[in-house]
Amino acid sequence: MIQLDNVSKSFEGTQVLKNINLTINQGEVVTLIGPSGAGKTTLLRLLNWLEVPDSGRITVGEVTIDASKYSKHDVRRLRGQSSMVFQHYNLFKNKTVLENVTESLVIVSKLKQKEAEEKAEALLKKVGMGDKLHDYPANLSGGQQQRVGIARALAVDPKVMLFDEPTSALDPEWVGEILHLIKQIAAQGMTMILVSHEMRFVRSVASRIIFLEHGELVEDSNPKDLFENSKSVRTQAFLQKLTYEEV
Amino acid sequence: MGKIFDPVFMIQSFPEILKALPITLFIAFVSAVIGLVIAFIVSFIRYSNIRILSPIAKAYISFIRGTPDLVQIMLVYYGIPLFLKAINEKFGTAFDVNGVPSIAFAIIALAINAGAYMSETMRSSLLAVDSGQLEACYSVNMTRLQALWRVIIPQAIGIAIPPLSNTLISLIKATSLVFTISIIDLMAQAKIVGSRSFRFFEIYVVVSIIYWVICAVVAFALSKVEVHAKRYERKVDQ
Repeated sequence: MIQLDNVSKSFEGTQVLKNINLTINQGEVVTLIGPSGAGKTTLLRLLNWLEVPDSGRITVGEVTIDASKYSKHDVRRLRGQSSMVFQHYNLFKNKTVLENVTESLVIVSKLKQKEAEEKAEALLKKVGMGDKLHDYPANLSGGQQQRVGIARALAVDPKVMLFDEPTSALDPEWVGEILHLIKQIAAQGMTMILVSHEMRFVRSVASRIIFLEHGELVEDSNPKDLFENSKSVRTQAFLQKLTYEEV
Repeated sequence: MGKIFDPVFMIQSFPEILKALPITLFIAFVSAVIGLVIAFIVSFIRYSNIRILSPIAKAYISFIRGTPDLVQIMLVYYGIPLFLKAINEKFGTAFDVNGVPSIAFAIIALAINAGAYMSETMRSSLLAVDSGQLEACYSVNMTRLQALWRVIIPQAIGIAIPPLSNTLISLIKATSLVFTISIIDLMAQAKIVGSRSFRFFEIYVVVSIIYWVICAVVAFALSKVEVHAKRYERKVDQ
């Protein structure tokens, strides 16, 4: 479903991802954890081609791109496989809640306006935003904006959803409900990759956890093994730094 | 000796001077529109960093910023006829160098001038839109052009209006230079009326009031446009 072959990426001379090889299967809920600067977010963004790898091959769904040779057309096909939920929501500020979701349906998926609105309304109801269809993002709380962000990402019928620290910009009061919503989507069998620092949530939602540090995959395991008997000293050191309550 | 300052004469000369208002407004309006078109193209070239064209655009902006408006008007006024002449000689065409009305030179010069300033405003407004907006467009698989057109540019317009309003006001004021290439605008009309009566001060008070009113109206109108363009940012009490 998702495959990375020898993927490397550096920013201004600093290598953030070193020769990553990774395979993720359909239906898996994979969480990337690790200290800041480990390359988690970069890895996630590569899959949506928001970052361009220096070398290696990336496969998402039916599309494979080689960093050494690709066209704009390849990039669009790759992006069509996945969708992203952002840390800072990134809702289209000049569009209403409804328009944020219909935008890609009309412009990219070429649905008729009416069909797009019906689909968007259904999704927005599902995420609990059915009563705010005509509000602009500026008038929504962080939690509400992130619900719309999730509806927008669901609308493109992605094969895999990418969540980039979806709750870390939220006020604590909204974190629970967003995590609950993500869990619901996971329960419906959606393939997901998440970057998150909410360890308790990670443990309960993930089918697989990958610990990254200094741009390398240090440990790749199921939640129980990773949290309770990690084989890696580096993972143990990272987990020990987290407060007792978080683990 | 008459009065030192003659308010009655001043008020009476308003209608005479206002006869030239349409010319001033026409020059300002047409050069603003052409300037906006130039600015749109140039800002896009710079924003997208298009090869070869981008450095040319940069040089154009630098030149316009670094030379006085009056000098630019002179360059166009004397330069374009020479250019046409050269073309006539080279290609055997028969452009009538003397048939070009002065007002065309004025509009070309002011449009080129305003275009440079406005393009910088537009470029920085495009850059001021949160980069997350473009990423969100990409994440739902919109193309770059779709993203620009539907998300980035609409937001940049709201950001650009206050500085564009300043440029437009500068442009309106710069039209007062076109009397130097024998166009009867407000300023030239003032000179004519003034030289008849020798009450130049009163006449220039009249002219200044007219410019002031035009600029105030334009600034007010554009502030309303700005509110409309940024309507999505307005917080509504729930």
